[in-house]
Amino acid sequence: MTKGQNMSAAEINETATETKPKVTDFELAERSAAGDREAFEQLYHRHFRRVFALCLRMTTNPSTAEDLTQEVFIHLFNKIGSFRGDSAFTTWLHRMTVNHVLMYFRKSSTRSELLTMEGETPVQIVRGTENQDKMPIVDRIALEKAISELPPGYRSVFVLHDVEGYEHEEIGRMLGCSTGTSKSQLHKARLKLRDLIRRQAAQN
Amino acid sequence: MECEESLPLLSEYHAGALDEPTRNGVREHLGCCPPCDDVYHDVETIVASASSLREEEGISFPDERVVWQRIQFS
Repeated sequence: MTKGQNMSAAEINETATETKPKVTDFELAERSAAGDREAFEQLYHRHFRRVFALCLRMTTNPSTAEDLTQEVFIHLFNKIGSFRGDSAFTTWLHRMTVNHVLMYFRKSSTRSELLTMEGETPVQIVRGTENQDKMPIVDRIALEKAISELPPGYRSVFVLHDVEGYEHEEIGRMLGCSTGTSKSQLHKARLKLRDLIRRQAAQN
Repeated sequence: MECEESLPLLSEYHAGALDEPTRNGVREHLGCCPPCDDVYHDVETIVASASSLREEEGISFPDERVVWQRIQFS
């Protein structure tokens, strides 16, 4: 029996789709740079969720994340010709998205919020008589709520390092601070989160 | 090592980035100071939980076709 016998048109089509080699991001980027709008739309649909999720993690605001996602893809459209394929397209777009959100933080603040100033939000270590038990596993909702209450400077460093996996050296370059400052901000962010999560738990 | 010295070092201790004498000092302090040990445990828990936020599950995504329309008309 030859392939295709007793198969519906939809099944044949599906099989053909499965065996057809997937066009790479690099190919789509090259075609987009040459003016192929359909190729760019394919890239958009491939990466929309990833870009939105990243914007949401960094801003914790769905409406802002949606606006930023739109802006990132417009920026991507204008810059797609500069993608050389030296890194994975996802890595390149991820970095572009992070930079765009950081730029948004810079623009939306009358003072730099990219770093939380020393002493601006003193970290309270919950110690002593209050709730000495070790923290149980933190559920996602509690952690997201606590992150949304962090000052933007702490939030940026925490999300970039502990969620997105960037190294301190790279965070320092992106934020325009030293590696030591990035480390210090991360530690304070974690302690502030601990404080916020414990307060939430005490209220529930 | 005292609490005031140990507390600022807990993230670096967690990352394994301290030199050996300092690392040993923090470890000894955590072994005899339950409040600091609790803080360290909580830092570990927060770091372990943070990576789960990369999952897209649970996120309410906007309609990507609508966003695409807006991009096209920009």
